[in-house]
Amino acid sequence: MEEDKEDKHIDDTNDDFALDFTTSSAISKMNIKFLILYIPTFWFSGILIGIICYQYTWLAVNVNSLWWIIQVIFLPIFFLGIYLLFILVSLFFCKLFLILINLIHLPKEGVFYAESGDPDFDFWCLRIEIKKLGLWLLNNSPVPLIDVLGFRWFGIKLDFSSHLYDAWCDAEFVKFGRQVTIGQAASVMSSMVIGKYLIIKRIILDDYVVIGGQSNVAPGTIVGKDTVIAAGSITKYNQILEEKWLYMGVPARKIKPNKYAEERRNNISRRDVDEEKVYEVKQEINIDEDKKDLL
Amino acid sequence: MSVPSAMRVGPFTATVLAKKKYIFFYLFLIWVSVLSITLEFWVFWQEIFSWNLLFPWNITHFYIFFPLVAILMYITIVFVSLFFAKVLLIFVNALHKPREGVFKRDLSDKDYCYWSMRNTIKRWPIWLSHRFPFPFLDNLCFKLFGVKTKFSNSLFEGWVDTEFIEFGDNVVVGQGSIIQSSTIIGNLLLIKKTIIEENVRIGSHAIVMPGVHVGKNCVLAALSVALVGQDLEENWIYVGIPAKKFKKNRFFEDGLIKKIGKRTEDEEVLRKKYEDLYIRRHDERSTLRERVHARKER
Repeated sequence: MEEDKEDKHIDDTNDDFALDFTTSSAISKMNIKFLILYIPTFWFSGILIGIICYQYTWLAVNVNSLWWIIQVIFLPIFFLGIYLLFILVSLFFCKLFLILINLIHLPKEGVFYAESGDPDFDFWCLRIEIKKLGLWLLNNSPVPLIDVLGFRWFGIKLDFSSHLYDAWCDAEFVKFGRQVTIGQAASVMSSMVIGKYLIIKRIILDDYVVIGGQSNVAPGTIVGKDTVIAAGSITKYNQILEEKWLYMGVPARKIKPNKYAEERRNNISRRDVDEEKVYEVKQEINIDEDKKDLL
Repeated sequence: MSVPSAMRVGPFTATVLAKKKYIFFYLFLIWVSVLSITLEFWVFWQEIFSWNLLFPWNITHFYIFFPLVAILMYITIVFVSLFFAKVLLIFVNALHKPREGVFKRDLSDKDYCYWSMRNTIKRWPIWLSHRFPFPFLDNLCFKLFGVKTKFSNSLFEGWVDTEFIEFGDNVVVGQGSIIQSSTIIGNLLLIKKTIIEENVRIGSHAIVMPGVHVGKNCVLAALSVALVGQDLEENWIYVGIPAKKFKKNRFFEDGLIKKIGKRTEDEEVLRKKYEDLYIRRHDERSTLRERVHARKER
C-alpha cells in the first residue's frame, strides 16, 4: 500500500487490477419508469384490503345486534392482520414480476459493464428495484422476524434462526447456514460497482457465523463455520475466512482463534481468568510519517 | 434493497434545534400538507358518489380507486410540503443569506441560528420523501433545496446534507455513507462547500466531511473518511481513515472483464471444500431419490 503511493510510474501488473478494496452495491440509475411497476402492485393489493375492510364494516352496519362491540374489540388485530396481508400480497406481485424478468434474462455471476446498454446490468437494476418494494414494506413493519419471510420468498434459503433485520443484505446470491447473525448496519453485498464494472458473485455464510455491526462483506466472500467478523471490518473480494477464527480490520485479518465457539453449546460467559493468555498482534497503521510519534 | 431501520442514519440534517420556537415551522408545514390531502380526499369522496359507472353501488368504486388515490395523496403531501418549505426558505434566505465559513455555536451568532432554522424547515419534506421506496421524490427534494444533482444519481441509500453540495453525473453513494457540508466541532459550526464530480463511487459507510473536493472517476472505498477540506485527485482510489491514495483507478478502462474475473486455482478448490462443508439444513426438503432410498432401507 505504501509502495504504491510513492511510485508515480506504475507498471501494468496484475496487482493494479486487484480488487483489494470494497465499494458499495447501491444502484447508479434510478428511473421514473419504475413507477409503472409500483402503481399496479399497490393498487391490486390495496383493492384486496379494501374488500376485506368493506366486509368488516358492512357486518357492523347491517347486523342488528350488539355485534359491533365485538368488532370494535377485535379492531386492532384486524388492522394488524390487513397490514400483514397487504405486505404479503405486494410481495406476491413482486415475485410475479421477478419471475417474468428472470424468464427474460437469468441472473448470473460474473463481471459486467455497468452501463445502460449491458443487459446484465439493466436486469440487475430491475431486479433490485422490484425487490426493494417488498423488502421496504417488510423492513418498515413492526414485526421484526417477518423480513426473513421476504428473503425466503425471493429465493434465499434461510430460516428464522438467522437474524438480519438490522442489516443491509442483497436478496440474491447469498447462501446462509443456520443461526447466522448479521449485526446492526452491516452490509452483505453480493454485487459491487467499481468504475465501469459491475461484479456479482456468490457469498457463502456457514453455520453460526457472526458479522459485527457496520462491517462490510464483499462479493465472493466465503465465511467458514463458527467464524466471527469483528465490528467495523471489511472483507476483500473473493476472500476466504477460515473456520473458527476471529477476523478483524480493513481488510479482515486473523486475530485469534474463536475460543467461544468451543464453549458455545455449554456456557459462553464462564471463563477461566487464571489461564487466560494474552495475544499480541502487530497491525499496520495507516498514518502519516510525521504524525507517527504522536502515537 | 431497501434501507433497513438500523441504517437510516438519523435525520437528514444533523442539526441541533437552536431555539425551541423553530418547532413552529414543523407545525405549519405538517398542518398545511395534511390539509391539502384532506381536501383531495374530500373531492374524491364527493366525486365517487356522483358517478354511476360500473355499478349503481358507489361504495365499490370507492374501494377500487382508493389505493390509487392513496398513492396520489402521498405524492401530493410531498409536493405541497416541498412548495411551502421552498417559500419559507426564500423568505428566510432573504433575511439572511446562507454563507460558508466558521461560526460560533452560540445563540448570539446569526449564521448559526439561521442554519438551524433552514434545517428545521427542510426536515419534514425530506423525511416524507425519504420514507417512500421510490427515489424520484428524494432527488426532487435535493434539487429544490439547492443541491446540484442529476436524476441519474442515487443518493437514496446514504445520508446527504441539503445545501452547499454539488454532484456531477452518474454518482453512486453507497448504503449508510454520510456526505456533509456542515459539522459542529466543539463550540464551532463549520460550513463549507462539498463538490463531488462525475463518475465518483462512494463506498458504504464512508464519510465525506465538509469542504471535500472529489475529482472525476474517483473511488472512496468503504469505511474510509475524507477529512475537512481534503482534495481527492482525479482517477485515484482512496482508502483509509483519513483517506489516502491507494492506487490509480484503472477500472474505467475497457476490456478488463477477464482480468478482474481471474482467480487462482486454490480458491476454486477451497470454494468446493466449503460448498461440501456446508451443512444440510434441517428444513431443506430432501430430493425424491433420497426419499426412495430411505424407504428402501427401512
